[in-house]
Amino acid sequence: MDAFSMGFVAAMGALATVAGASEDIESDIGSQSNPNSQVQLAAQVGSPHRIFNKAISGEPPANALWACTAATVAYTLITAFQIPALAALALGASVAALFNGVFAMSAYLGRNTSQKRFNQWVYLDIVRYTTTSIMAHAWITSFCIATISYIMVYMQEFKHPFPMPVIALIWGLAVGAIGSSVGDIQYGGEREFQNRQFGCGLNTMLSGQIVRKAEAGLRNSIDNAWFCTKFGGPATGMGFGLTVFLDNWRTTLFDPVTQAGFAIGAGLFFILVMVSYNFYIERSCRRKYGPYPEYKGDIAA
Amino acid sequence: MNGFDINTIVYILEIVVGGLLVGIGVHFVPVGGAPAAMAQASGIGTGTVQLAAGSGLTGLLAAGLMMSVTDNIWLILASGGVGAGIMIGATMLTGGWIYAYAVGVPFASAKVNYDPITKFSQAPYVSPGTVGQGIPTVCYVSGLIGGMMGGVGGAMIYYPLYLINGNAGLSAIFSIGIFLVNAVLASWNIQGTIEGFHDPKFKKWPFAYRACAVASILLALAAVLITGGA
Repeated sequence: MDAFSMGFVAAMGALATVAGASEDIESDIGSQSNPNSQVQLAAQVGSPHRIFNKAISGEPPANALWACTAATVAYTLITAFQIPALAALALGASVAALFNGVFAMSAYLGRNTSQKRFNQWVYLDIVRYTTTSIMAHAWITSFCIATISYIMVYMQEFKHPFPMPVIALIWGLAVGAIGSSVGDIQYGGEREFQNRQFGCGLNTMLSGQIVRKAEAGLRNSIDNAWFCTKFGGPATGMGFGLTVFLDNWRTTLFDPVTQAGFAIGAGLFFILVMVSYNFYIERSCRRKYGPYPEYKGDIAA
Repeated sequence: MNGFDINTIVYILEIVVGGLLVGIGVHFVPVGGAPAAMAQASGIGTGTVQLAAGSGLTGLLAAGLMMSVTDNIWLILASGGVGAGIMIGATMLTGGWIYAYAVGVPFASAKVNYDPITKFSQAPYVSPGTVGQGIPTVCYVSGLIGGMMGGVGGAMIYYPLYLINGNAGLSAIFSIGIFLVNAVLASWNIQGTIEGFHDPKFKKWPFAYRACAVASILLALAAVLITGGA
């Protein structure tokens, strides 16, 4: 280990935290991934809305595409045209953001026009304001992930053998999987359904009846971004940041050539700590929230 | 490599075992799909393949790094498993924060009356009108087992391919492909959602085992021949 390598690991952790947060907010603004099912259903159960609707694909493949595009363009510019790395990465992310914009806009127009029979309109002001916001967040995500790949391939003491685009593809898949599993729950489980009692899962009877009014006026996707930035985004960032940081920390602190066993042992230690932390959360929730009052049976714990 | 020798058969067998590990591992991952994202079902609120791929391929990155400095198969497999375990562990942990502190629900599974690991009663804590929510300890442990099996499987597919052609990028892409085929086959078997090894659906794993075995044998032959073996 040298000091520079550890500094790079810290930088990668920070970049991953930012990438995770922006990925989640990008998907919340666009209503991508699982909560999209409710946005899609809303018009069909008689609640047309002004929320952006872009289920291009699952989040992991979509983010793998943006990140891989950014890394491929950056890699080409660096190797074939000798453009400075930072500029090449920024240009690569810009190309990825353009791809994202095309997909987002065609998804919004296609989905909403197909729901014409349910009185769902295409709002051009939503297209104008929201698409650029989605693209901006996609830019941040792809830039951060392409930069992580660049650091892993060119700057670390033990250079990763995979090419930069493949690493970006894998981290893109991972950030999408984390964003879809973590941040989207706040959007789908809390923000979309603030019109019901707090502290319970969504009753199946309420499916599709999403909140359509905002603090002022009608709710749009920018309002959702404002809300999800407070917890869902940072929590996703923590999830992806922990993954990238802990995974690289153990192979940087312990030399993989001579101390491979320690590197693997450190990983197992982190896993055990996470299991106990989750158990602590489970226990404290059961103690603080208690059983649901509707439950009539009596089961001794 | 010259000719189809005993090593080629060993490589093919390793790829098949890797594919089977991925296929079975997917059954352990507690995925609730879209309902889990609305706290309507317990497990992680995403798709099966997505999460298995996210964690297993993070393990592949760790295994690839390890393989660039050693050719000890046990270290490479362990590295892949641990890398995948860290990813899925961090995902479930931060997902649990959202369930606990944003949606405000206790963790409970509607598939069992008592958590097989902690022995906590589940039914009183299941929100009315849902089939559980959050990630109880049994789901968490099952998810870790599944994710780590995926990581070991991915590394086991990568290892022989890298020995055959010595090209990390090519081997990685083929590993990702074989990984995804097996993950998708397994997720068809579980039909979208599963809670882990305590879920009744878990008993269907032999179907996926057979399908993944056939697919992996075909893919292993193709991968070994195309990437430069035999």
